[in-house]
Amino acid sequence: MRRIGVFVCHCGINIAHTVDVEELTKYASNLDGVVVSKSYKYMCSDVGATLIKDSIKEFNLDCVVVASCSPRMHEHTFREVISDGGVNPYRLEIANIREQCSWAHSDKEKATEKAKFLIRSAVAKAQLLEPLKTSNIPVTPEALVIGAGIAGIQASLDLANNGFKVYLVEKEPSIGGRMSQLDKTFPTLDCSSCILTPKMMEVANHQNIELFTYSELAGIEGSIGNYKVKIKKKPRYVDVKKCTGCGDCAAACRLKDRVTNEFDMGMGKRGAAYMPFPQAVPLKYTIDSKHCLFLARGKCGETPACREACAQGAINFDQKEEIIEKKVGAIIVATGYDLLDPSSLYEYGYAAPDVITTLELERLISSSGPTKGEILRPSDKQKPKSVTFILCVGSRDETQCTWCCRIGCMSALKQVYLLREKLGEDVEINVCYTDIRSYGKGYEEFYRKVRGLKTNMFRGRPSEVRNMGTQQKIDIFDTTTNKLFEITTDLVVLAPALVPRSNAVDFARLLHLTLSGDGFLLEAHPKLRPMDTFVNGIFIAGCCQGPKDIQDTVSQASGAASRATTILAKKELEVDPLIAAVDEELCTGCGVCVEVCPYDARALNDKSKIAEVNEALCVGCGACIASCPSNASIHKNFTKKQILNMVDDII
Amino acid sequence: MPTEQYAYEISLREILPLLDVELVDIEGFSCCGEPMKSVNQLMTLYLSARNLAIGEKHKLDMFAPCAMCHLALSECKYVLDSNPEMKKRINEMLASEDLNYHGDKGIVHTVDLLHDHIDIEAIKQHVKKPLKGLKIATHYGCHLIRPSEIGRPVHSENPQKIEEILKALGAETAPYAQKLDCCGAPLLANLPESALTKTGQKLKAIQEQGFVALVDVCPWCHKMFDSKQVKAGETVAAKLDIPVLYLTQLIGLAFGLKREKLGLELNLSPVGKLEF
Repeated sequence: MRRIGVFVCHCGINIAHTVDVEELTKYASNLDGVVVSKSYKYMCSDVGATLIKDSIKEFNLDCVVVASCSPRMHEHTFREVISDGGVNPYRLEIANIREQCSWAHSDKEKATEKAKFLIRSAVAKAQLLEPLKTSNIPVTPEALVIGAGIAGIQASLDLANNGFKVYLVEKEPSIGGRMSQLDKTFPTLDCSSCILTPKMMEVANHQNIELFTYSELAGIEGSIGNYKVKIKKKPRYVDVKKCTGCGDCAAACRLKDRVTNEFDMGMGKRGAAYMPFPQAVPLKYTIDSKHCLFLARGKCGETPACREACAQGAINFDQKEEIIEKKVGAIIVATGYDLLDPSSLYEYGYAAPDVITTLELERLISSSGPTKGEILRPSDKQKPKSVTFILCVGSRDETQCTWCCRIGCMSALKQVYLLREKLGEDVEINVCYTDIRSYGKGYEEFYRKVRGLKTNMFRGRPSEVRNMGTQQKIDIFDTTTNKLFEITTDLVVLAPALVPRSNAVDFARLLHLTLSGDGFLLEAHPKLRPMDTFVNGIFIAGCCQGPKDIQDTVSQASGAASRATTILAKKELEVDPLIAAVDEELCTGCGVCVEVCPYDARALNDKSKIAEVNEALCVGCGACIASCPSNASIHKNFTKKQILNMVDDII
Repeated sequence: MPTEQYAYEISLREILPLLDVELVDIEGFSCCGEPMKSVNQLMTLYLSARNLAIGEKHKLDMFAPCAMCHLALSECKYVLDSNPEMKKRINEMLASEDLNYHGDKGIVHTVDLLHDHIDIEAIKQHVKKPLKGLKIATHYGCHLIRPSEIGRPVHSENPQKIEEILKALGAETAPYAQKLDCCGAPLLANLPESALTKTGQKLKAIQEQGFVALVDVCPWCHKMFDSKQVKAGETVAAKLDIPVLYLTQLIGLAFGLKREKLGLELNLSPVGKLEF
């Protein structure tokens, strides 16, 4: 017979308020195998831990049941405590009487009854718990960073500077992400490329960073410490070793200035051979296979013009897609965001050429943009005499995106400032806002400054943007003055909601990550584990987790890098022994477990024909246990016998 | 449910049989209740529910060509289907006539009947005189598009179903900024001047943008745009002479039906000048 100790926690009043803790303690002391039963106000505190350790000695316990909060909170804590006290850490069972009892109920009498059942079943399982040993696996001290926007760049640099090898994967031809599309940043009005380009160069030249541009993640196997990743390198049709970035191919391209430039958000044109922007890293050209006449139609004049023009002979139409395999210990996901397409909100009139988004305006403001920094309306290429901003387009809107985009107010205010500079005093600037959320350091001060720049602020959401031909008419009810205004304006700028990447669902599935209700990647805990995911060894940074500004993104990226370091810096990782095992006498070698295992942790032994478990890869998901037809696959300390004993005891 | 606007009803009864739709007239229908809504909401609900219950008794979907009736009935269905207590209360009131509202039958309007239930292709096949070269403006009417929560036959911000029907008839359409503007009718009783200003502004904009006719699908809107066009023109100091037709009248013309069969002599706007 086991010698079991039961320790019931009050959790302040969290448990004690709804469950009669003293009665529970008394009740537990009469259960089979229980030699001591005690309660304390905070079992997870130092005093509580000492209470458990002393009891282990005093009553010579070999098994411990703690009735407290969810094992997600403190299982680890109590394992350490009983291990210190001399009991195998896996001879611990938690009865969750907080989340699954006191928090869920209000009737004290009934809740106490339920808590008794929970404790009784925990004690029943404790009687059969086996002592387990942890094993160690070596760690690959290299990291994969997906997405080379400012988040991916910052995380890669932090990891590389800590001495770890980093593979940085970017799907576009150049790194830089959204930040490289911006002209200035709020609230300091730093030139975006001036602060970003040095970091991009550092990435390009860092000996610990291997850059994969125009590439995507194609597959992933393994688990924390030892992931095997497949990187798909799309063909650029330009030999990057030979390309000098001279631009002769782009100048010669027969489609020059005829293809919509996605970097300029459709405001400018490029050719099929192109470089997205002048500061691109790597400074190499790419041939867009969708538009290139030779690649799409098989014919480009007599011979492809770019190939003729390239003195280096760098153009290579025979390039094929490549798959590159790498082993990494940790992964940081920094895939960024998309902007809501305002076409879904018909009333904002985005179909009209002179209704644009803030990011499109950003390209017009940028000196490397399609108008070289001149503010010209798309319809007639004239300077607008009146510009109207509409904020919260699709944001904080129950029919579209319920969340706040967190950057719309400040980016629009920044643009107001820049337009005032570029267009002068006489231009009318209107801002239709819901609330101005200027929450960050220096933001409120910036807002005050912009309000002083003869900016007309209307608090409300326009009912409609009407295209009157050469001008747009906006009806807005201003809720600060309770008056209806009709604004006639030359250019309308919409601040659209920030939404998850269009392929977020497939991407999350590839990495086994979870999405939150809004479609962004879900963090393991919103407050205490904001950079972790539910997959060990995979971390998130930047807007893939939710909208945020550059400041927050960079902080989170450094945080994620630091979290990844906690794995990479270890030589070996302790592997939780709560994984699958095989009862060799029962195994028939049918191989079902090998097929169902999503982590490639199961394999048939060539000689014995018995299915084995690779302890380094198994995460204890239970798929093989559920599917094993002969009950040979078992989950350590979640065996059928243990579980049935729990059930038997409470029914 | 019949309407007091004969031209609408006459044309409906002409074109629907051609499209294999049989209309069944049921005795005992009353007003939908909408005009009483601001005075007595319970009465509105009761009247709408009563009509729906009569339809259910005959196991038929309800066809309400008037957008306002359609709104009252839809709103009633929305309230009763989502509020069991109110449903019980109304059914207790209906019991005296041996009626009961279940909520298992649909409510259709002219636009979704033509666009969704009959199908554009079927309409296309009946076109004998395509409306070639006619640029026609559309007016849906507020009751047909909003509120979207209770379910309306067309999109509340960018309705396109009438446009698609017009294209099937061979006509041209174009978006115009004032498309969703109110006809002015709700203001007519208390602020007639404001009401006619709304009507006039919209018609003026349509005329200025080169449309040759306006189609509508609501008796109230039609009264404003058609019957009150001259007065509306005087209010906004513009000479208005734009033909205003019910969608069903225009479909009848495209189907090659005679003008007198479509009640066109009842229209007060200059429909005679519409040629194609």
